[in-house]
Amino acid sequence: MKNKKLFCTMTALVLFASLQAFAADVKVIANTSVSASSISAGDIKDVFLLDKDSLGGSHVEPVLARGGAAHEAFLKEYLGKNDTALQAFYRSLVFTGKASMPKSLPSDAEVVAYVAKTKGAVGYVSSGAPTEGVKTLQVK
Amino acid sequence: MKHTFLKYIAAGILTALTVSISLHAQEFKIGPKAVQVHGFATQGFVYTSGNNWLTMTTNGDGSFGMTDMGLNASSQVTNKFRIGAQVYDHNLGQLGQYHPDLDWAVADFRVKPWLGFRGGKVKTTFGLYTDTQDLDSLHIFSLMPQSIYPIDMRDASIAHLGGDVYGKVRLSHNRGSFEYTIWSGHRSDSIYSGYPLFLLSKGTVTKTYGGLQYGYDLRWNTPAKGLVVGASRMSQDIVGTSTRGGLPNQEHSVKDWTNQFYGQYTHRNLQLESEFRHYCRDEVVRNGVAEDKGNMKSWYIAGTYQVMKKLALGSYFSHYTVTDTFPAMAQDTSLPSNHDYDKVISGRVDINRFVYVKAEGHFMDGYGQGPFPNGFYPQQNPTFVPNTKALVLRTGFSF
Repeated sequence: MKNKKLFCTMTALVLFASLQAFAADVKVIANTSVSASSISAGDIKDVFLLDKDSLGGSHVEPVLARGGAAHEAFLKEYLGKNDTALQAFYRSLVFTGKASMPKSLPSDAEVVAYVAKTKGAVGYVSSGAPTEGVKTLQVK
Repeated sequence: MKHTFLKYIAAGILTALTVSISLHAQEFKIGPKAVQVHGFATQGFVYTSGNNWLTMTTNGDGSFGMTDMGLNASSQVTNKFRIGAQVYDHNLGQLGQYHPDLDWAVADFRVKPWLGFRGGKVKTTFGLYTDTQDLDSLHIFSLMPQSIYPIDMRDASIAHLGGDVYGKVRLSHNRGSFEYTIWSGHRSDSIYSGYPLFLLSKGTVTKTYGGLQYGYDLRWNTPAKGLVVGASRMSQDIVGTSTRGGLPNQEHSVKDWTNQFYGQYTHRNLQLESEFRHYCRDEVVRNGVAEDKGNMKSWYIAGTYQVMKKLALGSYFSHYTVTDTFPAMAQDTSLPSNHDYDKVISGRVDINRFVYVKAEGHFMDGYGQGPFPNGFYPQQNPTFVPNTKALVLRTGFSF
């Protein structure tokens, strides 16, 4: 009985720790023109699924990574879609005239550079990536 | 035959690969404004045993007469205002015949997430896939469930010349979000589409077919993660002009409406969905001499699974029944002429980000004739047989 309790506690701890690690693998960044200093998970989903184009009164546009661990973690954590489904979703909008394709870039460094120079840009990078010239948004 | 077939498929994939390598999404600037250019093309092969299908001579030999392509350009003019247009061209057996069509051309003003306006030639939001039914690169299936998205009748619902009011509202207390589209406009069928070809088999040569369409689509992204449910309604007032035996002929709507209900559930790599459509069509035909009342009831249930990044599998069962007062025998839906039940298995391989190949098997019971065709035409089938098996191969690219 004791062993069973210990096993359950350990399993819960491992699950909790891995979820925390998962969420911490990626950070959300924004151009300095974006007035908000934090963003909710719901707003992240709305911005990256093109349902919302402003945050705290500032116009925003999403910038995506083109693959990689941070990209996979971000999709799973915030958008609830895999990369194939997300690309199909964007294409369904682009080929029906309902939206433009968001910018996607191949590396963290390029995402940071693009977000730094583009007014309203919001992106995400690995938690360890240098983020000079952009602000990191706290996820509420 | 086998050698020629393999040669065509290899050539199709090679062409798609070559083109995709050279044609990544393009972006250029007009003044300070970026213009995005995207496109797609597909090539299909259909082989059947039973009836000829989709206006091709598919029975026994198979046909490569299934090609389509599209090219669009769009620009975000201001934060709230966007414009764009797409040209679409296709050939499906006797349909399309490579007459290019302005697929959509819209000006879109999105005031708030919950309020936007689109005007121009607009793709119709109706059910899960009406607006994307001919965008093969988006789907795992080579042919969408034909009971609800008949490829030969795409013109009937694909777009309207008019406007939409649309938006998305996040509901309080974690009750999900609600999306709406209310639309109205003019439908205009190509004379190279399915219904005019069907009428030709009765000696009627279509000049124009179209009219007012209006309706709405409402969908609720429920608090249950991955579950969407929705309902759509369309009403129409259609006029067709033609000649019959060299004399002017006309048909027009008395009553024409469609209701559609749908649900979709996505969990990780699994997607399950189902739609039900009831189409009621009452038309005065032959210059007012006769009235043709048809009732089409359709539904499907489909499941897809992304097995790995480059491989997806899917299956659906599509159910179509038609009753019609003209001729009077069309009341019995157990007859193969009044139903089409289609069991389908499908696989898709994504060769890279742009190019894919699909293979699909169809096992059809019935050939569903009514006031309009459902994939099977008298011109290619002097006598119908009850059952048809089909193999559909399709490759394409999009950028």
